[in-house]
Amino acid sequence: MKPVEYNTGKVPNWCPGCGNFAIWNSIKKALSNLEIEPHKLALVSGIGCSGKMVNYVRSYALQTLHGRTMPVATGIKLANPDMTVLVNGGDGDGYGMGVGHLIHAIRRNINVTYIVHHNKVYGLTTGQAAPTSPEGTITKSTPFGVVDATINPLILAMAAGATFVARGYTGESEHLTDLIMQGINHKGFALIDVFQPCVTFGGQYKYEYYDQRVVKMDKMPSHDEAVALAADQEKLSIGLYSQYERAPYEARHPEISRTVEMKDVSKLIEAYI
Amino acid sequence: MEKTFVWKVGGPAGFGITTLGPVFAKILKDCGYFIHGYLEYPSLIRGGYNSYQMVFGKTPVTAPKKRIDLYIALDDVCFERETFDDDTIVIGDFDNLKKADGIKGVKVNVPLKKIVEDLNGKDIMRNTAALGASVAALGLPEDVMAAVVAASYPGKISKPNVDAAQAGFSHCKPMIKLEKTDNGSCKKAPVMTGNEAVSIGAIRAGVTFFSTYPMTPASSILHYLAKEARDYHVTVKHAEDEIAGILMAIGAAHAGARAMTGTSGGGFALMNEGFGLAAITEIPIVVALSQRPGPATGMPTWTEQADLQYALHASQGEFLRAIYSPADLDEAYKFTIDAFNLAEKYQIPVIVLLDKFLSESHFMAHDMDTNYGTMDRGLIFKGNPEKPYEHFKRYEETENGVPTRSIPGTPGGLFVAGSNEHDKTGFVIDSADNRVYQTDRRFKKQPFVAAEMPHPYLIGKEDAPLTFVCFGSMKQVLLEAMKYDDRFNFIYFPAVHPLEWEKIADLLKGRNLVAFENNKTAQLRALIAENTGIYIQKTCLKYDGRPFFTEEVVEYVGEALK
Repeated sequence: MKPVEYNTGKVPNWCPGCGNFAIWNSIKKALSNLEIEPHKLALVSGIGCSGKMVNYVRSYALQTLHGRTMPVATGIKLANPDMTVLVNGGDGDGYGMGVGHLIHAIRRNINVTYIVHHNKVYGLTTGQAAPTSPEGTITKSTPFGVVDATINPLILAMAAGATFVARGYTGESEHLTDLIMQGINHKGFALIDVFQPCVTFGGQYKYEYYDQRVVKMDKMPSHDEAVALAADQEKLSIGLYSQYERAPYEARHPEISRTVEMKDVSKLIEAYI
Repeated sequence: MEKTFVWKVGGPAGFGITTLGPVFAKILKDCGYFIHGYLEYPSLIRGGYNSYQMVFGKTPVTAPKKRIDLYIALDDVCFERETFDDDTIVIGDFDNLKKADGIKGVKVNVPLKKIVEDLNGKDIMRNTAALGASVAALGLPEDVMAAVVAASYPGKISKPNVDAAQAGFSHCKPMIKLEKTDNGSCKKAPVMTGNEAVSIGAIRAGVTFFSTYPMTPASSILHYLAKEARDYHVTVKHAEDEIAGILMAIGAAHAGARAMTGTSGGGFALMNEGFGLAAITEIPIVVALSQRPGPATGMPTWTEQADLQYALHASQGEFLRAIYSPADLDEAYKFTIDAFNLAEKYQIPVIVLLDKFLSESHFMAHDMDTNYGTMDRGLIFKGNPEKPYEHFKRYEETENGVPTRSIPGTPGGLFVAGSNEHDKTGFVIDSADNRVYQTDRRFKKQPFVAAEMPHPYLIGKEDAPLTFVCFGSMKQVLLEAMKYDDRFNFIYFPAVHPLEWEKIADLLKGRNLVAFENNKTAQLRALIAENTGIYIQKTCLKYDGRPFFTEEVVEYVGEALK
């Protein structure tokens, strides 16, 4: 299938120039390159602008609740490991409300690919602070500046033991397509944090900001280098930060069965006689 | 009417109180008696006061009592917690008990400490020695006891326990003359808890996915299914919280699993948003909800029926859910099986509403048919291999408001399961016409679901001067009380929603009604008033964390009909 054939016929209602268009295009290209058929793709999303992705990619889609993509995606993959599970969510969704679920998804190493739309702001709700907003950022919910320390998703994920951690940028679309393909091919949980400027509510964090700072890594860094690069707020390195092998979650559940049938419980009842 | 006996054992947690119950239950039923075992325990691991009460007789027994015939005191704490009358037989190691002076009852001194020391056994075996003494006091056969004890303890601890039981037995003479019974049906009847019946029902119904977070008194469903997961192919997950618990189940059900979760009120509070997600996406799930006293942590190990209105209204917005309220093992088993079919046939969330009394007490099942139920997964799209990448109108009515499900992986069945209001293919849309169409279509299922719910019915003599109205486990209490005073009858609700209320109004009319509920605010009464306009004036309510004891019902009836 060509990338355009993954379109659903629905026209995205993101703002003109929104970084989500680039993510949308990269997803379609990655699916096309990997020849993933739409009926074998489970697309899961959270709530917010990123969550609207379910309407625009031909798939079996499920739009969950705010912050709750991870458990739903986990349930889908455990019930049918043959599905490719691809998740989209915002940084508020995944690193705010959903951060607990994220850590547990990483622990489990469930074989799903999680694209986090990182724009340092709550866009759809017209501009409140995100967990990724740097200290001092003035927003509607933080008129005197953000006081909370900023979440660093890459360091958090690596510390939690994520088997695939990457960072992309919507200004580097081909690079992003490649990261998404690597994430889908990875046998385990893949976190792809994507700088996706919010052109309306993003404040200073727009394309100009990132264009001046983003650099591509030419190879996967060592663990110590990866932590240092992830912590650097001036030079923003994109690419694969960390990857290692560990059996995916669904492979460690021999009890998984897709056959639903009435069962003989006579032995279970006899045990109580 | 024949006498039912009450045997009770008490002591601190860690003294083997709870393990003794099922062992004694098996001895009794092998001797042909009907049993009911009621457990009380605080929320701690060591210390405090645990007790296990066994009620038994020649006819079915279903509720606990206040008066004790025979009591085993394993510790001085027992005398602070229990009161006896002159006839109560109290078995204890009185040389080692300091607070027993002045207690009422007939003391039987059994040197439990010495028995266990002589056998070089562990302290905890005092419980088995005491059991042996109580079996002797009741005049029950030693060989049945020895066989049951031997089979109840595995491997190396089997023989020491048999020795302890027999030594205890030899220290006591028969003191109570039980009526002889040779009821073979008891021997063949399983004894288990309500949660075990729910779990077995779920396995019977072909559950393939269960995820939750532990919460008393629902945890034993998780434990049971986890234990049987590999033999019966159930993916069982202890998730990070109840939010994840219900959402994993929803994800699995979306992908084709038969999925379930189970919790108590606090966990269900966390599940609420997910419960609504299941409703709007029409992803079928079953929730076992076992009530305990709230709000918040409340009384974790005690019972109440105070989550009825909560179950009816949980989660924002208006949507259809179904709620079964089983009273006993047979219903817990059958309704769980029915719940899966109902959930999938109508694509709605279904609750099996339990309480601690049903979830954790031991009952005897008489009608747990291993062949019960047939698989009904409702309308499922078979696929279109010709056009595998096409979208499908997943949210268009096929019949009775119910659309046809499409399971991910099926060619040509693409759709969006949207938590937003959505069009027939599932795409987000907020047009007025579509909102009304989808809301009406989802509610159109209601009368068809109501017709499939077990209907409330009258138990007892048609013309009794007093009619209790109850739901769930309170049926068991009223059945027991009816053996002592049959001047009342009762209307029992095996399900609470949705129901065919016109028929129920006819059932209620012209009776001296009393709302009989294990809560403070008579929540079933409110539901009845809302749907029939009939407001039941009188109430008999209990909300101290305990179920009604048989004597309390008999007393109420006596006063009311004075």
